[in-house]
Amino acid sequence: MSAEMRRARNRQMLIFLLVCVGMLILLGRLFYWQILESHSGYNLAELANEEHTQNQILNAPRGLIFDSQGRILATNVVRDDVYVEPIQFSIDHPDNTQSDLEALINSLHQVLPNVSMQKLQQAFSSDLPTVRIAVRIDPQQSQQLRALQLPDVFLQPRTWRIYPAGELAAQILGYVTQNDGDNVGVYGIEGQYNSLLAGKPGSFTAETDLQGNPLVVGADNEQPPVSGANITLTIDSAVEYMVQNALANAVQKLQAESGSVVVIDARTGAVVAMAGVGTFDPNNYGKYANQVGCLNSEQVYFNPVLYCAYEPGSTMKAVTMAAALDQGLITPDTTLDDQGCLSFSDGTPTVCNWEYLAYGTETMTQVLEHSANVGAAYVAHNILGPSRYYPYLARFGFGQATGIDGPEATGYYRKPGDPNWTESDLTRQAFGQSILATPLQMAMAYEAIANGGVMMRPYLVASINNNGHIVATQPQVERRVISEKTAQTLTGMLEDSALYGFAQPAQVPGYTIAAKTGTATTQGISADQTEASLAGFIPATNPRFVILVKLDRPQKAIYGSTAAAPLWGIIAQQLMEYYSVPPDALK
Amino acid sequence: MDRLRDRKELHGGQAQPASSSTPGKPVQSIPAGPILAAKRRRHLHPFFYRIGPGTLSVCSVLLIGLMAILYLSQLGQAVNDNQQIQNLHQQQATLQRENQDLINTIAQEESPAYIITHAKAMGLAPADPKTIQILVIKHLRTIPRDDQNLQP
Repeated sequence: MSAEMRRARNRQMLIFLLVCVGMLILLGRLFYWQILESHSGYNLAELANEEHTQNQILNAPRGLIFDSQGRILATNVVRDDVYVEPIQFSIDHPDNTQSDLEALINSLHQVLPNVSMQKLQQAFSSDLPTVRIAVRIDPQQSQQLRALQLPDVFLQPRTWRIYPAGELAAQILGYVTQNDGDNVGVYGIEGQYNSLLAGKPGSFTAETDLQGNPLVVGADNEQPPVSGANITLTIDSAVEYMVQNALANAVQKLQAESGSVVVIDARTGAVVAMAGVGTFDPNNYGKYANQVGCLNSEQVYFNPVLYCAYEPGSTMKAVTMAAALDQGLITPDTTLDDQGCLSFSDGTPTVCNWEYLAYGTETMTQVLEHSANVGAAYVAHNILGPSRYYPYLARFGFGQATGIDGPEATGYYRKPGDPNWTESDLTRQAFGQSILATPLQMAMAYEAIANGGVMMRPYLVASINNNGHIVATQPQVERRVISEKTAQTLTGMLEDSALYGFAQPAQVPGYTIAAKTGTATTQGISADQTEASLAGFIPATNPRFVILVKLDRPQKAIYGSTAAAPLWGIIAQQLMEYYSVPPDALK
Repeated sequence: MDRLRDRKELHGGQAQPASSSTPGKPVQSIPAGPILAAKRRRHLHPFFYRIGPGTLSVCSVLLIGLMAILYLSQLGQAVNDNQQIQNLHQQQATLQRENQDLINTIAQEESPAYIITHAKAMGLAPADPKTIQILVIKHLRTIPRDDQNLQP
């Protein structure tokens, strides 16, 4: 081998070695990133994938809520938020930054007059990549901004829950909050059925082009979202509006703190209307965060018909009479001697009538007409006794949940065996003191009387349509509370009570009504701070609707007969007209 | 291996070196027929036609170019389709958005508050319950309710 050949071979060997060293370095580096650093914080593979793949969550449209007539109570709309890019703007306009910025701010302010120039200037002077300058702008404003094609300004669409009827049935519906793009139902039907209404979000993964548009040529993976279920309520929004309006007028006129009304279908237990004052607008729920209802015990978002337990007062006398009638211990004509106050030989505190009025010999029907505390206490203490009285309180559903869709207060009463229970509790509970009941519980007690002694389970949701799979709620019997005969007898007594007693202002021309007033006072506060109520049903001969009206601390008229009864009459009359119920008391 | 196989065929099945002549021994004559056949076989493999390196290069370039054109055309078509799909998606989103807005508008205009406000604006007033008169018509036969028949 010649010397030249040897030199050439050496050079080749040197180059080969250099290549080998280079390869080894590359392999080492590859080993470092792929193996040693594969689980480190860099997440290089993820970063690389993010460069060219798009992972998108496809939000499922939230289900709609309808009333019983198919009118929409809750729906969704898409509205844009407006963002600006301050850093990008400085990069794009290196020379004429100030003049271009002024022109841009002027254009933005013209389209969005609610956003001040100062706020816009602050947004552009920040060193953030994006700044949101407006939320939920009108569709017209969105169109204007799109047409202007302003540089470094973009719109981000967002889905919002909308309640087209505003405050109507707000405490039944609840509202929806947005947490990091997730819609979460709170209170009412929105809260109770959140998982059903929300549906199931889908996902979309695809390779993208430089602009971030997904490519059909690359591998993609799409899982479509499952829409939320549509819910139809038993509420009729026309009746709901009428009830809410009448209640609001009464609260204003009587200068009451608050009030509530519930209207129930006497045969099925379906809730036709359920209203509270004060209430809130679920489209702007945040504004009401400091407002309270239920006599300052709960936030205004709570449904007072379900949550505001109160002492029902004399409306409870119908329950006491039902217990005694059902056990055959009294008849409507059973008499007692009412001297205005009743003392008990076992040391139970004396019970007196309102203003110590003495009625002399009176029948049980007259006890209801006079709303005599003495008569009710006499029946509970001297005729029934605890062993025959308390089972009926339980049968009428006091102290227990009614079973309506969603959470509710259960109310409370002391019974034998409970600490601090005394005979005084028995006598006072007979006329609606020393017992807490929600308006719904009280209405359901009257529903049982109206429905021939059978209590139905109250319900708000008529049907759920889960993407074509429809589940309709069937009226459900809760239990038989009293016999049919007792219910008929008691209905007659309540009819007389409404005709000749304190519930007279609730009378509806052409119709018979069975109703009882109630005026409750709270211990520890002035006696004129009452909770005036009236519970009853119409028509009495063939009951269609059970109505309970309650006004909290009315100032202009403080009794059930003067404050609640006229409102009950207005609502009852409008119901009869709206549903074209044939009159049953024509002469 | 092919060469070795060819040589085996040339030397009657025994593999021997090509120049195995030794001094003093006569060189064996090789018949011309099998050599030509082998050459032909070599030329035929892998092509059926004789093709020179220049032609092969041109053909390869043309083939690759054709494939590239086909690929680019397909890619262009795919990109166009992709753009069209994007536009349709955008159009669908816009229509869905408009649909939701229309549903909302209908719901607002169906709400009792809206109807009452507009009824009042048209001069209508709620009926006074005191003015309502109930007429008793004896032996009245009720008309079956069939709203569809009453529609114009």
